[in-house]
Amino acid sequence: MPQPQAFGSCNLEACLPPIKGFLETSFIDWPGKLCAILFVGGCNFRCPFCHNHPLVLAPEGMETIPFEEIMDRLAARKNWLAGVCISGGEPTLSPGLPKMITRLKAEGWAIKLDTNGTRPEVLAQLLGDNLLDMVAMDVKAPLVRDKYERCAGGPVNLEAIQESIDLLSRSGIPHEFRMTIAPGLHTEEDIVAWIKQFDRARSRLSLQNFNPKTTLDILYEKEQGFSQEIFSRFAAMVA
Amino acid sequence: MGVVMPLNAETAQARTHQVVNEDSTDIALFVRSSQDDMIGWNRQRIVDALLRETFLDRGTAEKISRDIEVTIQAGKVKTITGPLIREMVNAKLLEMGLEEARRMHTRLGVPLYDVDQLLVQHNKENANVPHGPEATNLTLAEGIKKEYALLQVFTPDVADAHLSGDLHLHDLGFIDRPYCSGQSLEYIKKFGLNLPHALSMAKPAKHAEVLLAHMVKFAASLQSHFAGAIGWDAINLFYAPYLEELDDNGVKQLAQMMIYEFSQQAVARGGQAIFSDVNIYWEVPKHFVDVPAIGPGGVYTGKTYGEYEKQAQRFAWALFEVYKEGDAAGRPFFFPKPLVHITEKFFKTEGHMDFLHHICEVASVKGNTYFVFDRGDTAKISECCRLSFKLEASDLEDAKQPWKMRYSALQNITINLPRLAFKAKGDDSVLFQLLTEKLQLAAKAHGQKKKFIERLMSLGKGGPLSLLAMDLDGEPYLKLHKCSYLIGMVGLNELIRVHLGEELHDSEESIKFGLKVIAHMNIVCNKLAESLDMKFVLEQTPAESTAFRFAKLDLAHFNEEAEKVVQGNREKGEVYYSNSTLFNVGANMSPIARVEKEGLFHPLIEAGSITHIWLGEAQPDKEALATFVINVFKYTQNDQIAFSPEFTACLECGKTSRGLSEACPYCQSKNVDGITRITGYFTKISSWNKGKLGELHDRYRNMDRFNN
Repeated sequence: MPQPQAFGSCNLEACLPPIKGFLETSFIDWPGKLCAILFVGGCNFRCPFCHNHPLVLAPEGMETIPFEEIMDRLAARKNWLAGVCISGGEPTLSPGLPKMITRLKAEGWAIKLDTNGTRPEVLAQLLGDNLLDMVAMDVKAPLVRDKYERCAGGPVNLEAIQESIDLLSRSGIPHEFRMTIAPGLHTEEDIVAWIKQFDRARSRLSLQNFNPKTTLDILYEKEQGFSQEIFSRFAAMVA
Repeated sequence: MGVVMPLNAETAQARTHQVVNEDSTDIALFVRSSQDDMIGWNRQRIVDALLRETFLDRGTAEKISRDIEVTIQAGKVKTITGPLIREMVNAKLLEMGLEEARRMHTRLGVPLYDVDQLLVQHNKENANVPHGPEATNLTLAEGIKKEYALLQVFTPDVADAHLSGDLHLHDLGFIDRPYCSGQSLEYIKKFGLNLPHALSMAKPAKHAEVLLAHMVKFAASLQSHFAGAIGWDAINLFYAPYLEELDDNGVKQLAQMMIYEFSQQAVARGGQAIFSDVNIYWEVPKHFVDVPAIGPGGVYTGKTYGEYEKQAQRFAWALFEVYKEGDAAGRPFFFPKPLVHITEKFFKTEGHMDFLHHICEVASVKGNTYFVFDRGDTAKISECCRLSFKLEASDLEDAKQPWKMRYSALQNITINLPRLAFKAKGDDSVLFQLLTEKLQLAAKAHGQKKKFIERLMSLGKGGPLSLLAMDLDGEPYLKLHKCSYLIGMVGLNELIRVHLGEELHDSEESIKFGLKVIAHMNIVCNKLAESLDMKFVLEQTPAESTAFRFAKLDLAHFNEEAEKVVQGNREKGEVYYSNSTLFNVGANMSPIARVEKEGLFHPLIEAGSITHIWLGEAQPDKEALATFVINVFKYTQNDQIAFSPEFTACLECGKTSRGLSEACPYCQSKNVDGITRITGYFTKISSWNKGKLGELHDRYRNMDRFNN
């Protein structure tokens, strides 16, 4: 493992979050906008239903795309794209995240951040520096320890999650709390309780149905999502 | 010995001039008897047929007939039929080295075994043809007309080029029809439904529903006179004068009726739904603004079409509401295909963003919408999988009397591009020379079809193409002198791969070379057009089965070279070449790069192009799609795009779900069928040919996030 270097002295590439994936055009990741997505390697959760698990379990094995190359490809699409979505893995784990966003902002890009909310101090810094235009935070379950830890696949600091929710709710920027639901993990009561945690006048909510294709925990590939009928009913509860 | 009345029964199929002059109802007469003597046998009939159908002299004909008689008498054959005698005569001609006479005397038909297979198995050459008695009729008739065309309409060099796969003559089974037709509703609004030989005649419609009934029936008659697509110009505008009496529910009802009528018209030719296209405009196109509008009863309303903008918009909106709902099982409607024209004026017309979001939502939810880009002063009418007719000055003059606006392509011929590269062995000059030769051959083939259709048309209203000869407005419905002759291409990507060692998406050089190839085709077409006075135009061939056929033939005849470049899965036989100038469908290209780079070719392809964006199961945001569509118009040269989602239709519970799944997500049944676009239209995947199945597997769906 390469040692993390001090912020001031490192070369730029070494400090920046390791970009392991890039999708130039997404029609689905930023509501109302055409955007590009960067996928940052590494995560502190082990959600059993995770789709991006190579990013979580073995990011070192994946080639890092040089940031300058990304900047060039984005520059060529300046006319087309409304912004850049930074997803993962969990981007807030990388100390170079603010620096990367600053660079993108300097080129005029609007930024959306996908996060699990475990690093409220990073979120606070980014919000304070006006570096974010939209945030989507995964809130995996109602904030009850055993439920949350089962969905996240390990220990969770619920105070940090709550702090991130509060930060976003008060931030005044567009944001969304979202939850991927699966029959073995979430009941209807969980969904009702989850919704109650938010101020719906301020925050947009969304649910995603679990999709059993290439999950982190292979046992989950045998599971099914909720049936279309049931999922539609749940989705209507947050609409 | 059985009794025969053979040759008389077959005279009528001999040559075309006889087909048209004689009653042909006894063509299929087939007499046999189990009596022991040769009652009714007349050797003279063999002589008569040989003299009538070939250039043989009487002496030779007499000798042949006597030889055949001896063979029959000596034989132990219990039953003799007309076809058998003809086969015996042909064998004799061959034995005597009279090859040309044999060709002229040959019979067209189908082996018993093949008919048996056909009646039971599903023909997958065209996914729009279902399986059933009507479909097998179509296949049988097409089979015979195809043989006829290759023997009688085209010269042997052209026929050989088709059979060997140098090029593909499309719709040979429809040799006696033009290829496709685009027209205006004004024709039936003005003249009513007044078709030659019809059992009754209808005056111009007074109500919207009746107009719809006329339109559907007219479309069905056109389908039986054209091989392919039947397109309608500015449909929402031309309905507009009939809509004033209707409230919003009435307009929605009419929209629903129209879409169901066309999507359920699987009762016509060959059980095949009419391949129908409706062109839709949010604005009133410039060339129709000052045109006097025809309303109920076929009379002028006293207003111009410019004054019907709001009514036309109401109808356009309602049509897309119906598309968004889909059919009773929530599946997308396959036909009619809605082509929305995005023009400079579109963006200046009030409400265009709402409408754009509306049609983008349909594109996302059901996929139906085609976005056709008419930049600058271009005006087009689009149909088929991508074909479009650019309106020229004389057409815009016709636009003042829109019933005169009708466009037809007489035939479509596709060139097998990869094969040229196999033969050129890396030499540019040879490659371009070979390409020129194939284009010349295609032009020759077009000339031969033109001559044939001219012959049928010259018989006028009493002939087989009476509908096309009908001249209610002083000109025949089919304006032969204005017809286009389409020349398409398959496998530019594989040509490049053979010639340069990389594919179109690999480098700027390969794109540049690809453009050179298509530009060369364009220039040669223009030169040929000038010298032969025929309008040759390039089109991106839909190549639903041609992309498969060329790949298969090249694997058979150019195996060593073809093996390296054919796409798909060779073990399963699911092989194909990339369609037309499309990039490798599996290349990891963002939708932006694809529309931009594929669009570089579109200005060179006058008769129409399209870029497909395969969506898989992702359901995009309508506003993101709208932004994308606007940018395609502003920043690229792309002619037309469509977004193609995929669906699973459950045959057990009848529900439709998003994405291609092996089991229904509602009831877990495995009795499911997939639905998505095959080439330029939606259809069920179970009806696809193997080549397209190979392509479906390879399609890049904008989801592969970690490999670029």
